[in-house]
Amino acid sequence: MSNEKYYVPHGTYWPIIGSIGISTLFVGFANHMHQVGWGWPVMLLGFSIVAFMLFGWIGTVVNESISGTYNKQVDRSFRWGMSWFIFSEVMFFAAFFGALLYARTLSVPWLAGADNNVFTPELWEGFKATWPLISTPGEVGQNGTMFSTNFKLVDAWGLPALNTALLLSSGVTITYAHHALRSGHRNALVAWMIATIALGVLFLGFQITEYGHAYHDGLKLTSGIYGSTFYLLTGFHGFHVTVGVIMLTVILYRIQKGHFNADNHFAFEGVAWYWHFVDVVWLGLFIFVYWL
Amino acid sequence: MDFVVIAIIIVIFFSLGSAVIGMLRGGREGSDKMFKALRVRVSLSVFLFLLLMFASFMGWIEPNNILPTQ
Repeated sequence: MSNEKYYVPHGTYWPIIGSIGISTLFVGFANHMHQVGWGWPVMLLGFSIVAFMLFGWIGTVVNESISGTYNKQVDRSFRWGMSWFIFSEVMFFAAFFGALLYARTLSVPWLAGADNNVFTPELWEGFKATWPLISTPGEVGQNGTMFSTNFKLVDAWGLPALNTALLLSSGVTITYAHHALRSGHRNALVAWMIATIALGVLFLGFQITEYGHAYHDGLKLTSGIYGSTFYLLTGFHGFHVTVGVIMLTVILYRIQKGHFNADNHFAFEGVAWYWHFVDVVWLGLFIFVYWL
Repeated sequence: MDFVVIAIIIVIFFSLGSAVIGMLRGGREGSDKMFKALRVRVSLSVFLFLLLMFASFMGWIEPNNILPTQ
C-alpha cells in the first residue's frame, strides 16, 4: 500500500500459459467425448497446466501484495473484482433454482392441463402432475408405465440434515476464525480454520455417500426433470464446496506465513464470504428440494 | 409455516448482500459491517435449521417425498 502509482505488471507469461492450458484441456475433453484414446491423457495434461498457471499466477499476485507493490486503488480493484465474481455466482445459482421453480410450479402442472389447458392435455394423455417427476413424458418410466409416479418417503432428517448441520457448523467456525483474525488471536484463528476445512471435507464425503444411495435407488441424471435439476444443483454446489475447501486451505497456508493482520486481510474476507454463500446455497437446496 | 421459512431465507440473503457492501467499502468500517452482517447470516441460518427441526417435530411441516421406488 506504499506506492502512489497503480501497479501494472509487465512481461508476465501466465496469461499465455493459461491459454495453452485451457486449449489443451478442451481439445482433450472434446476428443475424450468422441472416444478418442488420447483424449483423456491430453485432458489431464491441460488440467495440470491450468492448475500450474493458477498456482503460479496467484502466487505472483500474493508476492506483489506482501512486497507492498499495491496501493489503495489496486485494493479497490480487487474488491470490485470479487464483487463481480460474487454477482456472477449469485446469477449462476439463481438460474438453476429458477429452473427448479419453473419446472415444479409451472411447466409440469401445464403438462397436466393447468392454466392454459387448451393444448397441453392433448400432448400426453393421462399425464398427472406429480413432484418429484422422475420420468420424462413420452418415455417408458422405470416402473414400466409411461409416467412413473411411485415414490417412497425418505427421511429428510437423514444424510441431508446431517450435511446441513455440518455445513452450518462450518459457517459458525469460519465466523469464529474471522473474529479471531480481527482481534489478533492467531492460534484460535488457525484452529477455527482447520475445523472449517475438516467440516467441508466431511460434507463432501457424506455428499458422495448420498449420491451413491440416490443412484442405487434409481435416481439418475436422466430421471426426468427432477433428476436433472437435483444433480445439476447439488453437483454444482458440491463443486463449489470443493473449490471453497481448496481456497480455505490456501488461506490457512497464508495465515501460517503471516500474510494477514487485523486490519489488512482482504483475501480472507473474500474466501470467507464465498464460504458463507456456499453455505446459504446449501440451506436453500435443503429447504427447497427436501422441505418446501 | 412456508412463508416464515421463506421470509427468513430472504433476510439471510439481505445479510449476505450487506456483507458484500461492507467488503466493497473496505477499511475498518467496512470490515466491521461485513463481519456483523455475516454473524447475522450465520445466526439466522442456525435458527432456521433449528426451527425446521422443531416444526417437523410438532407436525407443522412435512418433508417432501424424495426418492423413486423401484
